[in-house]
Amino acid sequence: MRRALAGWAAFLVVAALVPLAIGGDRYLMLLANVMLMFMALALSWDVVARTGQLSLAHGAFFGLGAYTVALGHRYAALHPLLGLLLAAVVGTAVAAGLGVVTLRLRGIYFAIATLAFAEVLRTVAFQLPDITGGPVGISMPPLFDGDRLLSYYVAGAIFVVALALSLGVRYTRAHYAVTAVRTNETVAAAMGVPVVRTKVLTFAASALVATLAGAFYMPFITHTDPQDAFEVSRSVAALVFPIFGGIYTTIGPVIGTIVLRSFEEYLRVTPPWKEGYQVVYGAVIVLAVLFMPRGLLGLTQRVRAWRS
Amino acid sequence: MALLEAEGLVRRFRGLAAVDGLSFTVEEGKTLAVIGPNGAGKTTAFNLISGLLAPNAGRVAFRGSDVTRKRAHDRCRMGLGRTFQVVQPFAELDVVGNVMVGALFGGGAKSVDAARREALRLCELVGLGAKAAWPVGGLTVPDRKRLELARALATRPAVLMLDEVMEGLTPVEEREAVALLHRIRAEGVTLLLIEHVMSTVRDLSDRVIVMDYGKKIAEGTYAEISRDPKVIAAYLGSEEPMRGAVPPSDPPA
Repeated sequence: MRRALAGWAAFLVVAALVPLAIGGDRYLMLLANVMLMFMALALSWDVVARTGQLSLAHGAFFGLGAYTVALGHRYAALHPLLGLLLAAVVGTAVAAGLGVVTLRLRGIYFAIATLAFAEVLRTVAFQLPDITGGPVGISMPPLFDGDRLLSYYVAGAIFVVALALSLGVRYTRAHYAVTAVRTNETVAAAMGVPVVRTKVLTFAASALVATLAGAFYMPFITHTDPQDAFEVSRSVAALVFPIFGGIYTTIGPVIGTIVLRSFEEYLRVTPPWKEGYQVVYGAVIVLAVLFMPRGLLGLTQRVRAWRS
Repeated sequence: MALLEAEGLVRRFRGLAAVDGLSFTVEEGKTLAVIGPNGAGKTTAFNLISGLLAPNAGRVAFRGSDVTRKRAHDRCRMGLGRTFQVVQPFAELDVVGNVMVGALFGGGAKSVDAARREALRLCELVGLGAKAAWPVGGLTVPDRKRLELARALATRPAVLMLDEVMEGLTPVEEREAVALLHRIRAEGVTLLLIEHVMSTVRDLSDRVIVMDYGKKIAEGTYAEISRDPKVIAAYLGSEEPMRGAVPPSDPPA
């Protein structure tokens, strides 16, 4: 545990120094900001996965965070940083409510319920144009007047919250609760583990982080609409990054995000891939899931086992 | 006052009553054995008492208070511990980690470190001390039974329900297990056991209830029920003879 914490402290130091290496390049700073944001989202999804639940709502919590900040700014002139706090409260409360209703469902039924939740939020954002701007969307001024160095440290703070959650679940009694619940709910309950409470609390804490990621995205990107804020591909990204890196870990979602996001960006801007980059990207993910069932971490373990 | 009381428990599966009006009491410190042919409803009765199944009728009282509506994890924390006939260890935790789950949640251990100490003590007690850091996948059947027992003990039960903990053990291992259960009982744990091995029932139980088709057909001491014609008929009518009933076993160490 000490070694892991020391490793993450070193990682944070390196991450804090990344802008120095980048210099003033606005494009690279954009990527660095978004990278931190996605790492937080991926970490938050993985925490729910540790209870054995497949969430397709993480993109929706992201969108909820984005709209909360934007609406807070429009109707209460709320500063985006205070908007982050408001979004965290809203996201946690909504997730707790949703969790109490749906987390008695197991496996695929919970996944479907979370997908439905995402659709509901998107439809609400569409259908209330007087409040949300409807399909046209909603805008707000850029965070710190578009200073991508300052915003990088805001994203970094959100990443630290995500990291604390992920490591906290790993190195406290929560680890034993979520692992028991994931492996066998019946036996877990007979051992005294409060199964539903474990799942609801984990889901709510996870949603807090996912909402923060979206709450950062909004003033960073300055405009969103229902299609963009509640994009299904973001829910998919939230689960693909951890699965690619290695689920039920802290390092897996982080590495998965770095590798896949970089790869996706490379394809997007490099000819000849840029025309159909999503096809190539999708194919790589399918192959990865088929041939690396435990992600990159599983791959390194297999190589090590093969060597010895 | 009885420590544990079941009153008129009924549980139907698609109209078929697996448990059909079952009543019994367990006195503090007295071991009660539940025997009966396969399919008699013994495990279903355990599930009703531990809260994993809700009864269609009847009630369960523990220390005088009605726990019929309490959920399984609450009953465990109150002191109703159990093992499972089909042992299902948490595959992604090591041996001591499995026991720690019981210590942390059922047993109310204050910290992860305290839970680990308690779990290691219990691993020693059941004979898994040397294997505490093993992954559970590497355990033999008898070791899995030991782990199952250690996990249940970690929840600090007042009543420990044991669902065929002897199943799959050799006669020597059985004798060790009986000796271990005597030690556990000496620590003040009240045992409620489902058991097919009659020598174990004889050595451990103060009283025996016999179930058949979801009903209690006999109750008494081992000597009484082993002479009961209804009990003999229930067993002869099934393919399960009263294994171990004939050859006597050594007294517990």
